[in-house]
Amino acid sequence: MSGTTGSLAANYGVETDAVVSLNDIKVHYPVKEGVLQRVAGQVRAVDGVDLTIPKGKTLGLVGESGCGKTTLGRVIAGLVSPTSGDIWMDLTVEQQRDVQRLRNQNEKDFSEQDRQLWKQLTTGNRLGSMSREKQREYRRNCQVVFQDAFSSLNPRQLVRDIVGRPLRVHQEASGEDLNRKVIELLERVGLGAEHMLRYPHQFSGGQRQRISIARALALNPAFVILDEPTSALDVSVQAQILNLLVELQADMGLTYLFITHDLGVVQHMSDNIAVMYLGQIVEYGPTDQVFDNPLHPYSKILRDSNPSLEGKRSDRDWELSGTVPNPIEPPHGCRLHPRCPVAAAGCGWSVDDVLNSAEEKTPIIFETITTVERRDDFNAEVKFRDAEAAKSFATQVKSSVANLALDRPPELKGESVKLSFNEVPDASIQQIQDGRWTSCTRTQELGALPGFEKDKA
Amino acid sequence: MSENWLLKVQDLSVHFHSPRGVVHAVDNVSFEIKPGETLALVGETGCGKSVTARSILRLVPEPPGEYASGKILLSQDQDQSIEILSAPIKAVRAIRGERISMIFQDPGKALNPALTIGRQLAEVFGEHRMDMILENAGIEPDKASRADKMIAQQRASFLQIRLFSLLRSKKGKALQKSIDDAVARALADTGIPNPRKIMNSYPHELSGGMKQRVMIAQALACDPDLLIADEPTTALDVTIQARILELIQEMQKRRGMAVLYITHDLSLVREFADRVAVMYAGRIVETGPAVDVLASPQHPYTQGLLGAIPHRRTPRGQLAAIPGSVPQLVSPPAQCHFASRCKWAAEACKSVVPLLNSTETSRKVACLRFDTAEKLSVDIGDMPARAEMGEVAAE
Repeated sequence: MSGTTGSLAANYGVETDAVVSLNDIKVHYPVKEGVLQRVAGQVRAVDGVDLTIPKGKTLGLVGESGCGKTTLGRVIAGLVSPTSGDIWMDLTVEQQRDVQRLRNQNEKDFSEQDRQLWKQLTTGNRLGSMSREKQREYRRNCQVVFQDAFSSLNPRQLVRDIVGRPLRVHQEASGEDLNRKVIELLERVGLGAEHMLRYPHQFSGGQRQRISIARALALNPAFVILDEPTSALDVSVQAQILNLLVELQADMGLTYLFITHDLGVVQHMSDNIAVMYLGQIVEYGPTDQVFDNPLHPYSKILRDSNPSLEGKRSDRDWELSGTVPNPIEPPHGCRLHPRCPVAAAGCGWSVDDVLNSAEEKTPIIFETITTVERRDDFNAEVKFRDAEAAKSFATQVKSSVANLALDRPPELKGESVKLSFNEVPDASIQQIQDGRWTSCTRTQELGALPGFEKDKA
Repeated sequence: MSENWLLKVQDLSVHFHSPRGVVHAVDNVSFEIKPGETLALVGETGCGKSVTARSILRLVPEPPGEYASGKILLSQDQDQSIEILSAPIKAVRAIRGERISMIFQDPGKALNPALTIGRQLAEVFGEHRMDMILENAGIEPDKASRADKMIAQQRASFLQIRLFSLLRSKKGKALQKSIDDAVARALADTGIPNPRKIMNSYPHELSGGMKQRVMIAQALACDPDLLIADEPTTALDVTIQARILELIQEMQKRRGMAVLYITHDLSLVREFADRVAVMYAGRIVETGPAVDVLASPQHPYTQGLLGAIPHRRTPRGQLAAIPGSVPQLVSPPAQCHFASRCKWAAEACKSVVPLLNSTETSRKVACLRFDTAEKLSVDIGDMPARAEMGEVAAE
């Protein structure tokens, strides 16, 4: 067990050359308020993601809507610039090790040799600081197939122009040569020369997606980001497209990042999967192992709620309660804990969790709250309109899981209740088995997914 | 006719007139729904499943739509039934919401964004449950004055004109409370944690799952006999999907209503439906108990659909995709629509419309492989290879 922490966890076990490596990527969108457009908070769409995409493999990125998977895909494609963090291209195994080592040092403490190496790495491989030609090369090398083939193809352009545009932009071909290349590409994705002079509206959904794929492959890229390529398609057409993608990967040695919410598809397509929840990766590992033996409660719940043709859904006890928390103020500790069926004392309970649960479960009591005086996120004094409400609030807190996380029992003083929680650091993703990474703090302690005690629910 | 059915669709055909010709969206579709059962109508985009569902409530716009043939019978008390397609519109309006109600695919679009949830639900009660509102407000429905009814109607309507209420504020308040209580009860029934707060919020303030719960509350407000759920979970995440479907199932058990469940996802059918009808290009190609159909599909299309779902054991890149694409339904030829994509297709498939034939008890398939040459009066050499009865097609 290698007990790595923080951003060092980036490499997920360096074994192969990487097409792209992400270091602590954050994408925050400001929320503005009032006449002066004061920044009131940050929506943390992606909040500290480390990820390596190994060459020649398919990495599946799964998560529900709003978890930040599409934003992450756009960051990798260079369509959204991250608020902070580094994106590295084409790192060999040694280079990845060097990057990891140097990132954990202060730049002032670098030795002369390291300084040279760092300079070489940042100018050669880091998006944003590398040379123009390199950036251009990366853009050629990394292509995207978008979810909605209806809106990602220009309705006023012929298929020839759509598929041929990348070739023309990069001055690869023109005139007759261009036509020949476009036909070649169309044939590659199962269309033909007869489709070249038609408009997108003349095609069915599956055919449009084929056109999108042909456009993505025009410049012979090494890496393709597939952002929900089949979610708008019917199953029978989806099967055609998935088969095509696998065939192309084998022929051209492509690397895929497969972003989807469909677990059946991701299980079929990918070698490794990363499960995302609320802007962070909560589990990473080989696909089969993650499906057979998930190491994060969220992955398990996702797997179990995916309808399958065979067998009954096994564990129905595991269920997410409540709704997805506000990404402006995500929960402390493990981000899943307010909804997690196996949450315990050390999962990061704070004042907000108790207030949110009161709002959801007992709105009558919640409405009698007059003020909340908070010293920090873990300590606060909640004042009520009457003593009765304060008392029932205190009993409610005592009966919930959050009670275990309290420093001392809630202090009931007339109309106010004083809460003081143990401070818990934010959960980080760690390796607990060979090649298996999870951010569930309880799993990290136990070495396996905690059991579910029915009476607690 | 002592058969026990709730809704019977007979030879329904729905056509749409377009500049390119007449689109045969639904073509001679027949099925029955028994009280309390769940029938799943499965098919891909454009196969006519939603049009069939909308026809049941006569919601297909005319023109461009046209009910070209067929009957839709809804059973009523004492062995009587009403034919929805020919009934006067007033009678149909009495059925909508009261006896048959519908949940739509996208709850974000089906709810009015300009009204609070409470107001939208109040409308249902104002339309269908006036007596209950009056009674709960302490007014006997039979003795209620016209003014009382007017106040109640206005309170429940989204327009919120309160002329009468000004004159009789006490009664107005009692009626408002009665309406609010009814709405809150309906919402609480669907597992919404704090109905009073939800009532005062607008649709955009709620999550997708919550909106779908509101839709269900609205649909079930009048205890319908049949609920039509048109892809109720397509717009939702998997973890919420399971909960919404369980909610529908639970409500069904509690109220004993029948559900017509429209979906494109075969994997949901097994768990949530009793019977399934598979549609392709406007026709039903196979019906039967859900478990049997999924375990041993008989129609080549059903087999293809099941094979196309990514499966644990299928090696990567070898999904059994159905070749080709769905045929155009503009003036379609009289033939099996699946013939162009079918590996069994023979000459006869291109000249005969296959009809639903019983293959086993309670199972029917529309495929010439299950038919005989004599019955269709075609040359035996033109027939496709005959299917073995009880052949297990899914490998």
